[in-house]
Amino acid sequence: MKGLFKSKPKTPVDVVRQTRELLIYIDMNWNSRDPKREEKMAELCKNIREMKSTLYGNSESEPVAEACAQLTQEFFKDNTLRLLIVCLPKLNLEARKDATQVVANLQRQQVHSRLIASDYLEANKDLLDLLISGYEDMDIALHYGAMLRECIRHQCIARYVLESEHMKKFFDYIQLPNFDIASDAAATFKELLTRHKSTVAEFLSKNYDWFFAEFNSRLLSSANYITRRQAIKLLGDMLLDRSNSAVMVRYVSSKDNLMILMNLLRESSKNIQIEAFHVFKLFAANQNKPPEITSILVTNRDKLLRFFKDFKIDKEDEQFESDKAQVVREIQSLKKENAS
Amino acid sequence: MPATCSTKCESYISSVNSSCTQRTIAALTDPRMKYKSLISPLPSTLRTRRARSRTCAEQEKEKAEEGGADNAIAMYPLDSKSYRLLYEVGSGVSAVVYKAACLPLDSAVVAIKSIDLERSRANLDDVRREAKAMALLSHPNILRAHCSFTVDRHLWVVMPFMAAGSLQSIISSSFPDGLPEPSIAVVLREILHALSYLHAQGHIHRDIKAGNILVDSDGSIKLADFGVSASIYESHPSSSVSLFMSSSSSSFFNDMAGTPYWMAPEVIHSHLGYGIKADIWSFGITALELAHGRPPLSHLPLSKSLVMKITNRLRLEEHSKDSSSGGSKKKFSKAFKDMVASCLSRDPSKRPSADKLLRHPFFKNCKSTDYLVKNVLQAVPAVEERYKQRRMAQEIKCINGGEMEEGSASPLVKHRRVSGWNFNEDVLELDPVYPAAESEEDTGRKEDDDKDQKKSYEGGGDQEEKKEVAKKKGSEAAPLTVLKQTLVPNLVSLLSSLELQRGMVMDVLSHCGCRDGQQAESLREQQMWGYIKSLQQTVEDLKLQLLREMKRNGELEEKLAVLKREVNANDEDLHAVALTT
Repeated sequence: MKGLFKSKPKTPVDVVRQTRELLIYIDMNWNSRDPKREEKMAELCKNIREMKSTLYGNSESEPVAEACAQLTQEFFKDNTLRLLIVCLPKLNLEARKDATQVVANLQRQQVHSRLIASDYLEANKDLLDLLISGYEDMDIALHYGAMLRECIRHQCIARYVLESEHMKKFFDYIQLPNFDIASDAAATFKELLTRHKSTVAEFLSKNYDWFFAEFNSRLLSSANYITRRQAIKLLGDMLLDRSNSAVMVRYVSSKDNLMILMNLLRESSKNIQIEAFHVFKLFAANQNKPPEITSILVTNRDKLLRFFKDFKIDKEDEQFESDKAQVVREIQSLKKENAS
Repeated sequence: MPATCSTKCESYISSVNSSCTQRTIAALTDPRMKYKSLISPLPSTLRTRRARSRTCAEQEKEKAEEGGADNAIAMYPLDSKSYRLLYEVGSGVSAVVYKAACLPLDSAVVAIKSIDLERSRANLDDVRREAKAMALLSHPNILRAHCSFTVDRHLWVVMPFMAAGSLQSIISSSFPDGLPEPSIAVVLREILHALSYLHAQGHIHRDIKAGNILVDSDGSIKLADFGVSASIYESHPSSSVSLFMSSSSSSFFNDMAGTPYWMAPEVIHSHLGYGIKADIWSFGITALELAHGRPPLSHLPLSKSLVMKITNRLRLEEHSKDSSSGGSKKKFSKAFKDMVASCLSRDPSKRPSADKLLRHPFFKNCKSTDYLVKNVLQAVPAVEERYKQRRMAQEIKCINGGEMEEGSASPLVKHRRVSGWNFNEDVLELDPVYPAAESEEDTGRKEDDDKDQKKSYEGGGDQEEKKEVAKKKGSEAAPLTVLKQTLVPNLVSLLSSLELQRGMVMDVLSHCGCRDGQQAESLREQQMWGYIKSLQQTVEDLKLQLLREMKRNGELEEKLAVLKREVNANDEDLHAVALTT
């Protein structure tokens, strides 16, 4: 209908093919002085936008499932994703944003009830290395970061990233001085460690020693307020998840961990205190406390009880109050045992 | 400089800074002291220079830098030591905005919004989303962050400095009854360009209001504050709580947490499933705000109960109100009224898109932004000046206002029910719609509230009060006699208006044959007396305040004289320091 007076509209497959050709051209001729380059660049941006409006719809129309499926199939048939990721730094800001949204959307598109994006990525895992390295380039970090977060929605991809050497780099990325990028990296880090329960549990058990050593020393003991705040929140999320119970039991049996948590309880930041409490309560509630944990709690009994007496949160929270009461009971009962 | 005098000197600094060169201040002010505890000695010749010419030059310089490099973000350093805070230009619940100099960039002027992450209880994810939105949006009518980084518990967002401040502050300082229509058209057109871009990007701003529209000294307009913005491309938890919280916690250039006044009905009524058309509603409300100097219904205190009541009432009655309540002295063009009316359609789908609005006849012969420089900015004091004034006005309010607002105003409001808003096109006002009485018993009370309500439209107490505040600001430096001359007649007329209103309320009550009329009457009488008493108290407190200010002024004057002598001795050394740093 739209093309009644215009030339025949391009099909989604045409758009993807043309995009691919243009990307190849741009990739090869980046430094050439071909006068057509500008023109091709504009054409490329237009095509990316068209893909976006096919996938998301626009002000006039909702997305059509059939068109989305065709586009997705054609997109992953060849190496369009690779080309798009590689050429992203060469695009202008608007095209980069469009491309990011296209890539994000494609991760969720099913063709014959299969997520073909997942299959493609599994066969091209080096693309994830590329996306992660984006955190080192301010210019593209937010675009690559957003793509990466969408890619790790696939469990197999999240597993790859978790098991890769990249995990160690995140401890640096989330402390980058640039807040936009650091917080984007932190969001990805959190996603990796909370999204796919079974994979996360497996990762944490296998990598317990180095991971929590890093986590404690570099994040929970960081000089940076926001790093500590995000880290303690994430630690609570991880340890309180039922699927990580084995890891939790191990964590709350360590004297060093307890000392770090007690220091966090003493922070002047209420937000950090509250998050620290949610982890501390696990130490106290543990029914099989190792002697060294018990002895620390007993030594600090009066201080802790005094602290909890005044420890309140702004809004009423029954769960918090009952947790607190239980922790206080636990600590009080420890004294009796010790004395008897 | 001893710490004891720092607070006293603060107001002095912020007023004098406006008329001194950037470079001198930058060289003299210690960043860790946040400019407070160091009194900058100023060459007296510089003090008389107009602030505007200076800021213009600065802005041009900054713009040249911005345009020169595409990746302007990379140029701005990411540590607090590279910036020198000059003075506050705005503050909100958990954020303060400073004018600052970026030292490595030749002391380029920037605005730094310092958000207290500990105080803003909102999810850190919201903060991240705002920073990301600001980093990735690129449009001449949208305020883009240069960079952001944390400084202990604060997030510093470094942004271009918009020398003329927010439209809300321009209006409240110089156009209390609203802007003239041609200027409104210029502002609205620029905002529509911003909205058109945002909406095409899939962003919903969700907090369009004059307080979030910033003006530069060249008249250019930018939309700011993405604290509550949402992207339809990014999944996010949309909870009503965070919506309210973050809007008040991160607003740029302070204003009361008045956001609900601008909110579209579907936003208030259901917190899910509203789209870009909610921005169009807020845009319409903003148009009214620019036209009248305040958003509609803003004379109702923003009590939680009011919000709850609007929220809980899902049924909207279409009362066609008689338009006699208007009495607006302003005349607006047909095109303007028509444009605003279309934005305020109850049905979101009937509201035009930003692109369509740009083609509306109202914008046909719209002037360029230069027009604002001549017709609006000329009349407006410098942004730091305004901020200072407002803060003083707030202090006064804090001293006197506390009991007044809580004591007598809110009990009346608690009984008020607003079920929706009808746009009265003739007078360019929103009329509240009241639900029909639920029970016989309720009728009396409701009607008198209704009546009460209507009266405030007719220029009753509320208008007077507004003027009062304006007068208070104005009379700061005036002698006591002037204070008496201006304040007392106003208060007297307020008193008589209150008497009048009381009479009318009584009248209504007796007509209704309300049985507990007597009781209500005595109750009301008590409230009235309380109100009058607190107003009398206000006059007394203002007098005291004025005396205190005058005394302080004298002290500062003395200090200034001493300092001037010091300056003359040190001037040359300091300039040498300025050059080396």
